[in-house]
Amino acid sequence: MGRSILQASVTDRGLVLDPRTKILLLLNMAIFVLGSAGGGRVQALTPLFCAMPAVLLLSAKKWRTAITYIILFSVSYVGYAVFGDITTGFLHYFLLSCCGILARFLPSIMMGGYLVSTTTVSEFTAAMLKMKLSEKIIIPLSVMFRFFPTVFDEAASINAAMKMRGIHLGGKNAGKILEYRIVPLMTCCVKIGEELSAAALTRGLGGEVRRTNICNIGFKVQDFIFITVSIVPYVLWILDIVGI
Amino acid sequence: MNNDNKIKGKDLINIGIYAAIYCVIMTCIAMLGYIPIMMPLLAVFCPLIGGIPMMLFYTKTKKFGMITIMSVIIGIYLWVTGMGIYPAIFGVVFGFLADLVAKSGGYKSFAKTVLSYGVMCLMIFGNYLPLFIDREGYFASREKFGQEYVDTLGGIMQNWMIPVLIIASFVFGVLGALLGKALLKKHFIKAGIV
Amino acid sequence: MIEIKNVSFRHENADEGSIHDITLTIPDGQCVLLCGESGSGKTTITRLINGLIPHYYEGEMHGEVIANGLNVTKSELYETAKKVGSVFQNPRSQFFCVDTTSELAFGCENMGLPEADILSRIDKVTAEMNIKSLMGQNIFELSGGEKQKIACGSVSALQPEIMVLDEPTSNLDLNAIEELKETVQKWKQSGKTIIIAEHRLYWLREICDRVICTQNGRIEFDMTMEEFKSLSDEERNAYGLRPLFAENAVQTVGNFSGTDILTLNNFSFSYDKKEVLNIPKLEIPVGSIVAVTGHNGAGKSTFSRCLCGLEKRFKGTVLLNGETLKSRQLLKKCYMVMQDVNHQLFCETVEEEVQLGMNEENAGKVQKILEELDLDGFAQRHPMSLSGGQKQRTAIASAMLADKEILLFDEPTSGLDFKHMEQTAKLLSSLKNKKTVFVATHDPELISRCCTHILRIENGVIDEFTSR
Repeated sequence: MGRSILQASVTDRGLVLDPRTKILLLLNMAIFVLGSAGGGRVQALTPLFCAMPAVLLLSAKKWRTAITYIILFSVSYVGYAVFGDITTGFLHYFLLSCCGILARFLPSIMMGGYLVSTTTVSEFTAAMLKMKLSEKIIIPLSVMFRFFPTVFDEAASINAAMKMRGIHLGGKNAGKILEYRIVPLMTCCVKIGEELSAAALTRGLGGEVRRTNICNIGFKVQDFIFITVSIVPYVLWILDIVGI
Repeated sequence: MNNDNKIKGKDLINIGIYAAIYCVIMTCIAMLGYIPIMMPLLAVFCPLIGGIPMMLFYTKTKKFGMITIMSVIIGIYLWVTGMGIYPAIFGVVFGFLADLVAKSGGYKSFAKTVLSYGVMCLMIFGNYLPLFIDREGYFASREKFGQEYVDTLGGIMQNWMIPVLIIASFVFGVLGALLGKALLKKHFIKAGIV
Repeated sequence: MIEIKNVSFRHENADEGSIHDITLTIPDGQCVLLCGESGSGKTTITRLINGLIPHYYEGEMHGEVIANGLNVTKSELYETAKKVGSVFQNPRSQFFCVDTTSELAFGCENMGLPEADILSRIDKVTAEMNIKSLMGQNIFELSGGEKQKIACGSVSALQPEIMVLDEPTSNLDLNAIEELKETVQKWKQSGKTIIIAEHRLYWLREICDRVICTQNGRIEFDMTMEEFKSLSDEERNAYGLRPLFAENAVQTVGNFSGTDILTLNNFSFSYDKKEVLNIPKLEIPVGSIVAVTGHNGAGKSTFSRCLCGLEKRFKGTVLLNGETLKSRQLLKKCYMVMQDVNHQLFCETVEEEVQLGMNEENAGKVQKILEELDLDGFAQRHPMSLSGGQKQRTAIASAMLADKEILLFDEPTSGLDFKHMEQTAKLLSSLKNKKTVFVATHDPELISRCCTHILRIENGVIDEFTSR
């Protein structure tokens, strides 16, 4: 079984950022690129933001993902500018929205991918502990973080099974497609979830003492650089609001 | 048998597992929102299909607070994936209300469970809120999707859509819960996972 | 000392796996083998000791369990976790972390031990178990045996006095079982009390002091290992147990009469620029049952996925009946019965299930095939409500009706007791000369019962292909 792309690698990981920095970067992405907040000056900076996932992916030695991202993003970005002038009618609308939507969502998706694929469950937990969150939130969130790749793996297996049975979208199965997908997915996930719970509980998860963590996370030089960069749009935003 | 009402490790793990399943399914559906006409319809599909994993989750819920935590987590997930802060706030409020409703039925009553999920689904409106609070800003930010997109979506998303969306979230939440319950009976109970 | 006092238990929603009035005392330092058919209650007993019953699996329980002075039945799981450690069978689900070091620390972190303490415990465990070289790695890239070592290490770090293992070898190959054996031996030497619920018995004959066999939720017999060894294989089989000596398992396979040939051409596949499979040419008799063996990660599953046409970038072909099949056609001709059969059951009844994706011309054969596979009594049942073996047969029935020529099985007997393993073997034998069957397996007892050929893959290349 190949390793799921969503699973963090632990060896040979390149530049390591604190999970909190990564979360901040992802949030920024969501606010400024996806949400287009912050006014004109911040929006002028978006290409810079969009370059960030590429830099991060490269720094984490995720060569293939980084290159795919750079190519896809450039194509959609350039495409948006070019098609805008040379096409008309439906084609115009179609190409524009394809490129526009891709250029807008891709950076955030990549940033999310970067967060998940470079952070181990225990680093993530350590980060939340340092943010002083309640155990009642930390445990479900770390289970969720641990369980995402499992859900995707299960979905992939079910997909493979459907292919072998020749069940496709459309035809007489169209109405059933949801049931065929969701029912086995739920059944398998819940069963694996049960085993995961049992294994975690017999090692004392959910006790009354506060958890400790041996993960060595903390802000380093690279974190401060990225955090400083992340603050820039907020400053510009405030300036924009007060009207300077 | 354990009858005390404190949330334990087992419950927290369950929340995490069902939240993961729910979020994956919701993310797949939300992809449909790229098509302008589908945008308001998310208030139909999300509650409807989300009812399936949620009804399974409700069968594991017997303590006050679990539904609240669940919706807080979903809210955080939506926040981090770019839906803004409102779904998170709505998540806390409506999750808590949904929890109260379910509690009033002792976490067993069929009707209260269905109603509780309907209430929880109201958090979906949080996703639309920016569109109505700052209409200009919202569409300006989506210019890149093409003028057609803006026109189509703007045409649909008039202010009268506010009550429609709220009611739709609730009604389809209730229907989703019924669908979930039906699938429980049809598949999941027989599969022995309830 | 573990004391189980007059315990009865019935699962909340299920009628199987319940036990009736069990009383058992296990002195300190003893190593106990729990055996018996699936559903006879041995897993239930392990769960009583580690507290998962009644704290995780809820139901109706009477009596109580005391482990080294701690009332497990009344204490919270995290209290029990300090005294009782548990190892499970499934490598996919028993790890909470991605990297080995965090996994070893996981239990200690839950106890809220100080960081320095945890690190020194990890040092101690890795030295004892000889797993220093595995630290700081991705768990999911380790071999099956290494994974199970990490699982054991993670439990060891909590320093419990009692160890409970629930079918720990179900997903392991023979070498990995040897490694696990060493670990258990070390635990035993350090005086831990060990309880192992297992189907595969041979690796435990020098380890366990006492054998307890359960049947229908009651203790069938409770004897020393010496007495157990003196039983004959027939007597053991009668209790539904697998042989105690692996070498006894060799059996002859009936006649195989195929002359047609199935040719695999250019079966090579790379993943991330690393070649994981490279078979330039392989000729296999049509109608044979080929055991595909090799270590975990040797390329068996890639081989199966390629043969099924599930890998899009796979360029190899299969020559069958003079027809050259590429990936897309292979998807139509091949069918894999997955290790977790739940992935491939979609419908509400068995009858609907087997007809989904059926070749329309076969509509008349449904009843006959259900009968052949002993499923006619279950036509209206929900597939998910069936037993593991019945689910497997349902999957096979659907493959037959879809006119699949090549069937693949992924670990069909992992975690099966003697009776069910034998049933699977008979089922596979019945496909001989009709379909070409590939069975990816670690189970020598299964191979000896039904396979006509053995294909061993190591590091992505054919190590050996022989007929038996």
